[in-house]
Amino acid sequence: MNKKRGLWWIFGPVILAFVMVTVLLLVPFSLSQISNKDIQEASVSFSKNVFKGETVKMHAFNDPNTHYVPFFGSSELLRLDTMHPSMLAEKYDRNYRPFLLGQAGTESLTHYLGMQEMTPALHKKQAVFVISQQWFTKRNTKWAFPEFYSPLQTVNWLRNITKITPTDRFIARRLLQQKQVSDSDFYAHLITKIKNNQPLSETDQNMLIIRNRMLVREDQLFSNITLTNNWNKKVKPSLKRLPNADNQSLLIKQADKLAKKQTDNNPFGIKNSFFKQRVKPRLKRLAQSQTNFDYRQSEEYGDFQAVLQEFAKEHTDVLFIIQPVNQKWSKYTGLNTKMYYQSVNKVKKQLKSQGFNHIADFSHDGGKKYFMQDTIHMGWRGWLATDQALKPFFDKGYQAPKYKINNNYLSKKWQNLMPTTNNLANFK
Amino acid sequence: MLNLQPYADPKYFIILLLALLPLAIGLYFGKRFAWYEVLVSVVFIFLMFDGHKYHEGFALIGYMIWQWLLVWAYTIYRKKANNSWVFYGTTVLAIVPLALVKIAPAAHWTHVTTLLGFMGISYLTFRSVAMIMETRDGTIKEFNPWLFLRFMLFMPTISSGPIDRYCRFVKDINSVPAREKYIDMLSKAVHFFFLGFLYKFVLSYIFGTLLLPRVEHMAMLSAHANGGWSWWLIGVMYAYGLDLFFDFAGYSLFAVATGYVMGIEVPMNFNLPFLSKNLKEFWNRWHMTLSFWFRDFVFMRLVFMMMKNKWFKSRVTTSNVAYIANMLIMGFWHGLTWYYIAYGLFHGVGLVVNDAWLRYKKKHHVPHNKFTEAFAIVLTFHVVMLSFLLFSGFLDTLWFHQHH
Repeated sequence: MNKKRGLWWIFGPVILAFVMVTVLLLVPFSLSQISNKDIQEASVSFSKNVFKGETVKMHAFNDPNTHYVPFFGSSELLRLDTMHPSMLAEKYDRNYRPFLLGQAGTESLTHYLGMQEMTPALHKKQAVFVISQQWFTKRNTKWAFPEFYSPLQTVNWLRNITKITPTDRFIARRLLQQKQVSDSDFYAHLITKIKNNQPLSETDQNMLIIRNRMLVREDQLFSNITLTNNWNKKVKPSLKRLPNADNQSLLIKQADKLAKKQTDNNPFGIKNSFFKQRVKPRLKRLAQSQTNFDYRQSEEYGDFQAVLQEFAKEHTDVLFIIQPVNQKWSKYTGLNTKMYYQSVNKVKKQLKSQGFNHIADFSHDGGKKYFMQDTIHMGWRGWLATDQALKPFFDKGYQAPKYKINNNYLSKKWQNLMPTTNNLANFK
Repeated sequence: MLNLQPYADPKYFIILLLALLPLAIGLYFGKRFAWYEVLVSVVFIFLMFDGHKYHEGFALIGYMIWQWLLVWAYTIYRKKANNSWVFYGTTVLAIVPLALVKIAPAAHWTHVTTLLGFMGISYLTFRSVAMIMETRDGTIKEFNPWLFLRFMLFMPTISSGPIDRYCRFVKDINSVPAREKYIDMLSKAVHFFFLGFLYKFVLSYIFGTLLLPRVEHMAMLSAHANGGWSWWLIGVMYAYGLDLFFDFAGYSLFAVATGYVMGIEVPMNFNLPFLSKNLKEFWNRWHMTLSFWFRDFVFMRLVFMMMKNKWFKSRVTTSNVAYIANMLIMGFWHGLTWYYIAYGLFHGVGLVVNDAWLRYKKKHHVPHNKFTEAFAIVLTFHVVMLSFLLFSGFLDTLWFHQHH
């Protein structure tokens, strides 16, 4: 009898711990407490937990008082300076607030997965999508994919599939190329099925439901613990620097004043701090360093098509913003201008031919004064130009779009098409 | 296909412990189900090396046949004669596969790596080489093929140790612990598992996954501007060093705990190494089964050889040379890169300095109190951390392989 108690003494606490964790993970009611302040902070936080999760995002997009709009993009969104869309929307109490989704390294495939868990926020709503030509590199290394990969999004994607489409098969193929996905038996097994056009079984669906329950719980418990302090550190001081009236000429004056002061240590119009830290130490080595860059042929065009298809499926009214490159800098580094504009044309062809007509194309503005904050990211005047595109888009509100999706844009042929004027005109 | 990497995720622990349950029940009631234990080991080793790792599985089988033949042949020979050159030859042949696998990355022999390499080859080599040496010493007298296989392929420790010794292992495997003792082992096993979870899945995650990439990134950026040096390197040093410890100590705790559940008292690998007061003590607390292996089978043998052949007059010189050789060999074993070898040299020289200081201290009655002890602990910790920064290879990336 004595020894029996010995075993309980050892294993009792272990069993109890397992029971408690299981209950915590599977209880069917929500455990999250998210305040309006948390959402405000999350909208400019760039926290990976928020980006990968769904709890905070869905709270934001369901907010009855503030109209949060998803802004998809990459590193440019991080430049939280005075004229950034988040600041202008807050200062002048616009009818929208950007919820920034993206940071350095988030490209189309990552965004496509991210969209899977926020479909209600896209369905017949407005969104903004900022495109960087730098995504469309020839050898698509997807170095940052692991950092932003979220099993929860993958589960949601699998659960959203009702009838397997060419896009689903395309995404399945792309995901299986990522080590993180192919290494996981559970996901690799299910995604391979999708790739082979086999519907998921009842058991698969039930497994996904359990996975989803656990991952959502994990997300609810942990996704807002590493929130940053960007609102107080970056947004609040910026609000003070903005003119009180929402007036274009006053804004331009202020933008030029700030920019002039912050770009006086280099001839490229790059922000001083960026130049000092990231450019100056290897300035010599960087000369002519981009002569071989090529954005014209890339698997990214296929990933981008998957994003477009998702927008079309949800009837999202999207404004696309095409970013320029800093002209002085690209001249110094030898970036091929013809190549760059051809790649922009390829993106625009893909958009326009399928009915995505809200495009703010700034690709020709990279030489304008104070337009860029650094080498490839928009700054003071660039953000003001963006604002000129955002304002009418949101003033008009949601307009039902008419998209005609063409699955040929998923093909290798399109990915590898050299975007000469002729080739683009002939691609159907 | 199902592929299970040891102690990698919660799934592994659940499957492992369920599989070991019949064995544990048997041990509790005083029975050791040897056939079941072998079955579980074979299945888990298979699941480790199946799927896309099948070539490692074949390498393991080939390797085992090779070692099996060597140890067997040497035991037969040793009963009749004891020629040193035969012993050296056998030892070299036992080390050859490991040596080739270690040279392969530096020499770009990718086919050698795929043909011979598998996870755990180092630790199997330590075991078989120790068996050959102990056979020569006469500690091991008979070759029992069945026990040889069970010792070499003991599942909990196959991939990264701890490195057990044949005689100790055989004593455990041929007996059943008394119930009191087994209950005590189970309670320790539970403790080790949970301490291991804390080490590997919490602390190592914090240092290795959350902190290390950030400080490395900052170090890279700032070193660019400062000719390869940066204060962030100190951050890299702590983050890497602590990650290394918690990751490996966590893994070792899992292996020991699993051994305990199976009724085998696998030796401990770590004993609070960062509380060491000097470098010598550190090596008695850090990766203990490895450093004891090197002490018994490299250091001691070198010292004996040098004394027997009277290479040096002074005993101090003898031990100094042995320290440096011992640590250099350990460095080479880690891999043929400048930073592993420099790491070995660093510790070799460190031990020499350490010994000189201990002699000086004894002779000159240097004051000794709580404060000097605390200082010694902090100093030793930092010397060790510095050596881990070297070991990490980050300096190599930073100085010689930066692509941006």
